[in-house]
Amino acid sequence: MALPPHATPLERVSHVGVRALSVIVLGYLVLPIVIVLPLSFTSGELLVYPLPAWSLRWYREFVTGATWTHATWNSLVLAVVTTAVATTLGMLAAFGLQGLRTRLKPALYGLLALPLIIPLVMVAVALFYYYARLGLVGTFTGLVMAHTVLALPFVVITIAATLQGFDGNLPRAAASLGASPLQTFRLVTLPLILPGVLSGAVFAFVTSFDELLVILFVGSPEQRTLPRQIWSGVSETMSPAVVAAAVVLIAVSLLLMAVVELLRRRGERLRGVTRP
Amino acid sequence: MPNLSRCWIALAAVLCLGALAPEARAQGKLVVGNAGGSSADAERKVFYGPFATANKITIQEESFNQELAKIRSQVETGNLIWDMVSTTAINVATGCEEGLLEKIDWSKYFDTKVFRDVGGVSECGVPYLFVSGGLAYDGNRIKDNAPKTWADFWNVTKWPGKRGLLYRAEQTFEVALMADGVPPAKAMEVLSAPGGVDRALKKLEELKPHVHWWKNGAESINLLSTGEVAMAYAWNGRVASANKTNNLNLKMELGAGHVSGCQYWAIMKGSKNKDLAIKLIQYAVTAQHQADFVRVISYGPANRDAYALLNDQEKATLPGQHLDKASLQLGKLYLGFWLANGDSLLQRFVKFAAQ
Amino acid sequence: MLALVAPSVLFIALFFVAPLGLFLYRSIDNFEVPGWLPRTTDALSAWSGEGLPDEAAFRAVAEDLAALNGTTALPLLGRRLNHNIPGFRGLITGTGSRVDPARPGRMREQLLALDARWGEPVYWQTIRRERHRLTAFYLLTALDLRYAPGGGIELASGESAIFLGLLGRTLGISLVVTVLCVLLGFPLAVTMAGASPARANLLLVLVLIPFWTSLLVRSTAWVILLQNQGVVNQLLIGLGLTTRPIPLIFNRVGLYIAMVHVLLPFMVLPLYSVLKSIPPELMRAAASLGAAPGTAFLRVYVPQALPGMVAGASLVFVLALGYYVTPALVGGPGDQMIGYFIAYFTNTAVNWGMASALGTLLLLVVALIYLALGRVVGLDRLAVR
Repeated sequence: MALPPHATPLERVSHVGVRALSVIVLGYLVLPIVIVLPLSFTSGELLVYPLPAWSLRWYREFVTGATWTHATWNSLVLAVVTTAVATTLGMLAAFGLQGLRTRLKPALYGLLALPLIIPLVMVAVALFYYYARLGLVGTFTGLVMAHTVLALPFVVITIAATLQGFDGNLPRAAASLGASPLQTFRLVTLPLILPGVLSGAVFAFVTSFDELLVILFVGSPEQRTLPRQIWSGVSETMSPAVVAAAVVLIAVSLLLMAVVELLRRRGERLRGVTRP
Repeated sequence: MPNLSRCWIALAAVLCLGALAPEARAQGKLVVGNAGGSSADAERKVFYGPFATANKITIQEESFNQELAKIRSQVETGNLIWDMVSTTAINVATGCEEGLLEKIDWSKYFDTKVFRDVGGVSECGVPYLFVSGGLAYDGNRIKDNAPKTWADFWNVTKWPGKRGLLYRAEQTFEVALMADGVPPAKAMEVLSAPGGVDRALKKLEELKPHVHWWKNGAESINLLSTGEVAMAYAWNGRVASANKTNNLNLKMELGAGHVSGCQYWAIMKGSKNKDLAIKLIQYAVTAQHQADFVRVISYGPANRDAYALLNDQEKATLPGQHLDKASLQLGKLYLGFWLANGDSLLQRFVKFAAQ
Repeated sequence: MLALVAPSVLFIALFFVAPLGLFLYRSIDNFEVPGWLPRTTDALSAWSGEGLPDEAAFRAVAEDLAALNGTTALPLLGRRLNHNIPGFRGLITGTGSRVDPARPGRMREQLLALDARWGEPVYWQTIRRERHRLTAFYLLTALDLRYAPGGGIELASGESAIFLGLLGRTLGISLVVTVLCVLLGFPLAVTMAGASPARANLLLVLVLIPFWTSLLVRSTAWVILLQNQGVVNQLLIGLGLTTRPIPLIFNRVGLYIAMVHVLLPFMVLPLYSVLKSIPPELMRAAASLGAAPGTAFLRVYVPQALPGMVAGASLVFVLALGYYVTPALVGGPGDQMIGYFIAYFTNTAVNWGMASALGTLLLLVVALIYLALGRVVGLDRLAVR
């Protein structure tokens, strides 16, 4: 926003001030992450600058060490299964909600969004207490259920938002041309909402992949995930291996963020939304 | 456009993969709860590793900070994750009384007389190492003018910087009393007498603004080596191990008074691998393996026959020579006091630290 | 159509609502005392509460405790009553393991011989008070209240009474963090809203990067940066601003720095989307009508921005209230909030009643804020029309 020519000195100063403050705040947001990353490449054992030398030893430890590979594998398996379950359930729910015209709708949305509002530590503790009675503590099933519950709101909201911009005439047109409901879904609806569905899936994946508290309270030592291992690392010995693991987490998150962004643009293109 | 039928197959495959996830690997296995860090490393090297190989099983470890609650919640909810645990005398006594640990007649498996010097075996636990906790500092950061007493530890004017203390009531209360002038041998007496705990808390209140609480051994070493604290209460084995592995110069002043006691093996009530656990304990407490353990990490052996297998140089690293300055975490007074008051003192301590 | 939603609803009901409900119920659940001391609670319900109860009550207690001997229920009962009176545990377990109801003679004498505390009314009064299936004890303790010796409820004092202070601390920290987020987030959002599409996109990406980075990783980064030989202190010493490292972590300062960093995107993003929709012509129109820049800003821009600010601030506040990971990693013991104590009572003290009571308190506060928010902004923030 350029300053209008009639701007007063006060306006000019505040304009510059606001911009300067924005730059500082942006730096505050981004720099900490950026500054810490190179520490994973240190050849030494302490997390201080200047680095004695650059080295990949900590990444080697991450890739070969049993604890880290086991943790990464656990994270991946859990996240993939959670994504599958959550996306399926969420997609069904989003469709169902869209077609509903009852007064129940806001209440159902509220219910499905509940996991977003409740403090996570309470959810984790409550699940531990509940699972203890059901014998689900330390079981894979228990973890998948818990993560699915946490991921579901994201999936539903994302897909519902996509459906909102979806032109209901298209499936009707397909039906009028003789397509069966399944064919309509497969050839007309799904391709158009796929970006939204995939976005929802990505949100579910990231929710599970990054999740710490439920694993902390409900998981067994065998089910340690990457965040759980990093948490131990930070609480006990802070070694650059922990930073290397954190870098891996960041890389995965940012990659997925890019995927979501690309999907969003693709979705907009497909639905004919023009960018301002 | 991705073929949808392939998508369903992929989904099914993924769900099957989930079913194959971690649990499905069932073979001979023992899960041990221990204190992590260099202690666990030493245990792995001398006990778990060779035992696992010899018996073709896997031994999995989980570290914890001696919270009895971790043992309680597993046994009480019926969700046993650990088979056995390395823990403190208090936890063994309380756990035994509450039915959380298996009661075993250890004399059936080995000669229990060799543990008499360290207080003997208990109904539910076997001692396997003797540890001393005392005043530690970085010899590279404090060169001359080293601290000599716990009063020095409390003196933040002469030695500026933070202090590391163990985030537990036991051990920390004794240290506070020692700083308040109580001779180490009398610390337990004073603590268990009326007003003892108040006195300890009052002394801790003085130092509190400068305290950095640590919860596990690895943290304490970290704090010292990075200079985050100027002095800390630390366990002798960890200090010696850190000096050896990381070439540090951490020093301990045991002459100031130290808190010493044993770490015990105990078996979780209802463990399906009880016999395997007993075998591991048998393995770990033989004089030979106890001596090996001392060579790796300088904790004292619980089995007195191990001393005969150590040479003078190895014996010198042990805190034996400062036993007159020890507040011993043994005996009826100690156990009786903590058994009766453990829970409420823990709460008092946490609330004290939180304010 | 409803059938499509049903699986998800069932899921949330089974794995979210049910656990939470059960957990919250635990704050008033008192199955231990009436369950394990059935005869005693019966006998005491007829008792007035004055002095000591009669021989029947002594016999009832002896029989109840003897029945529990050797089971895990005895120490569990001891622990439960120990919450009310420290030391009760020893009384229960000590008596239970030694009492013999079959021995002839008055039970009263036998019990008093085993432990003199059976002669103190307060222990009997406690059992009597806790004889019902439901109890208010945990909730009262969570509010620093207790039963007065003479009857009624009074404010507790001494070192047990920390929960109101804890609540105050939690609210206070969340408030400070929220205010800081508003002060820092508003200029950024304004800049983003006024930037060209390409630049706005870049700025959005820069804000999304920390948003997508996990909470744990960001807190870890601050732990590394703020320690005594971390980058920040090295910079300060290098610039000559200080000779010794400043303690920036494991204290309130570090906590604020880390929490604001974590929560700022939650402020900026909703605010940005609201500000973006404010037509720029409005400010120009105000200027053309003679408004001074300050006036135009306060009377035209801010009212339009307010819904976004309120939405962002409420979100940040509620999220901050329930935080556990960041304070645990970055704060000291004196900076911990309610979430920490919920975990403490779960993991360390195994006092489910207190964990649940604190959780109920937290949830109540969160619910109140959301209800208030719902009035102002409308629940459709989260729902899609």
